[in-house]
Amino acid sequence: MVWDFSSVLANSDALIAGAIGTVRLFAICLVSGMTFGLVVGLGRYARTRWFNWPATLFVEFFRNTPVLVQILWFYFALPIVAPFEISPLSAAALGISLNAAAFSADIYRGGIQSIERGQWEAARAIGMGWGQAMRRIILPQALKRMTPALTSRAIEIFKSTTLASTVAYVELLQQGKLIASINFNPIEAYTTVAVIFFVILWPLVQLTYALERRMKRAE
Amino acid sequence: MSYQWDFAPVFASAPLLAEGLGNTLRLTAVALAFGLVLGLALALMRLSPRPWFSWPAGFVIEVFRTTPPLVQLFWFFFALPMIVGIEMTPFIAAVVTFSIQSSAFFAEVFRAGIQSIERGQWEGALAIGMSRRQALNRIVLPQAVTRMIPAFMERAIELMKTTTLVATIAYADLLYDANAVAQKTYRPLETFTVAALVYFVVIFAFSLLGRRLERRLAVGGDSTVH
Repeated sequence: MVWDFSSVLANSDALIAGAIGTVRLFAICLVSGMTFGLVVGLGRYARTRWFNWPATLFVEFFRNTPVLVQILWFYFALPIVAPFEISPLSAAALGISLNAAAFSADIYRGGIQSIERGQWEAARAIGMGWGQAMRRIILPQALKRMTPALTSRAIEIFKSTTLASTVAYVELLQQGKLIASINFNPIEAYTTVAVIFFVILWPLVQLTYALERRMKRAE
Repeated sequence: MSYQWDFAPVFASAPLLAEGLGNTLRLTAVALAFGLVLGLALALMRLSPRPWFSWPAGFVIEVFRTTPPLVQLFWFFFALPMIVGIEMTPFIAAVVTFSIQSSAFFAEVFRAGIQSIERGQWEGALAIGMSRRQALNRIVLPQAVTRMIPAFMERAIELMKTTTLVATIAYADLLYDANAVAQKTYRPLETFTVAALVYFVVIFAFSLLGRRLERRLAVGGDSTVH
């Protein structure tokens, strides 16, 4: 068995197109998932039932179903009732973002809960409203504590983007499949894709380790 | 807009979906068993002071934590058989992939659990004449495992969700069978909704079980490791 990466290198433009697709999907899911996750997280934190119950239902449902099932539901099932076309990108982005929102919601809730009551009381005492106290006092402190957990969530989102290949969205794994089927070189094609993911994500994983260690020391 | 929902064709295919669920559970159970054993081995190697044990273990853990499971599955199903020259069934490829993938995560749970046990426990065990292995088996691991149970449950649930990826290499799990039913009945909305609900019911039941265990351990005054 002689490994020959030249047929993969000859298709580097296809891989670059895939990488752009991966990064685009990741960016969409990261921003929308973490933003919506904050809204849901505040809902989970709220004591009012009208906020708490829908948020809890959402989190439980999306945490306890596989992302791939969600993506395929949005791609194959939703268009039946929705009056519009669903592109592979939208289906994948919806599935991954909602899943990311459910997981990050619990990170936000945990972070906010971890802030001592005294911080709230002091903020209210100097005349801040709930929104002001949350925005200026609580969230900035909570976000700092949540950074390691949110970073590892971001890494999970990046890995989830490969699931978009099941609905033929052009991303790295999809392009790897394409190269493997045209050149009959699955060994080199899939190894290359794996190495690309490893090279991108390994530094990020090391970063989360470092952040976690620093948090532990600070405690 | 008035779509007529009709679940009858989906319920008519219930035996096929039940078979798919059975395969999902079987794959999860097998991968979980291998993953736990391999995870413990990797954790012990990683904690070893000898670099020829700790480095390879660290390498496996890092590679399988930082690459997407779907890429790993394709590699084991399409690439590995060509390298070693053997046939791979989708089931074997899935068991190999998900066992190693989950073991990388289990290894970190084991390691954190073992490291959370106070040094005094080791010293006490060694002082009464136990070997390192005896101290690990009889003193440290039993205490560590109780602390690790919530984290194990969480990883086991992740593993069950990850098994849906085998549908892409045509192993007849619940998702693959649901897709087949959707195509046969032209009822993708009903079929995928039912499939999602079945996954939810099964996985949510495990989540609740995990939370109960966690609460019980918390009442026992034991801290948990994540």
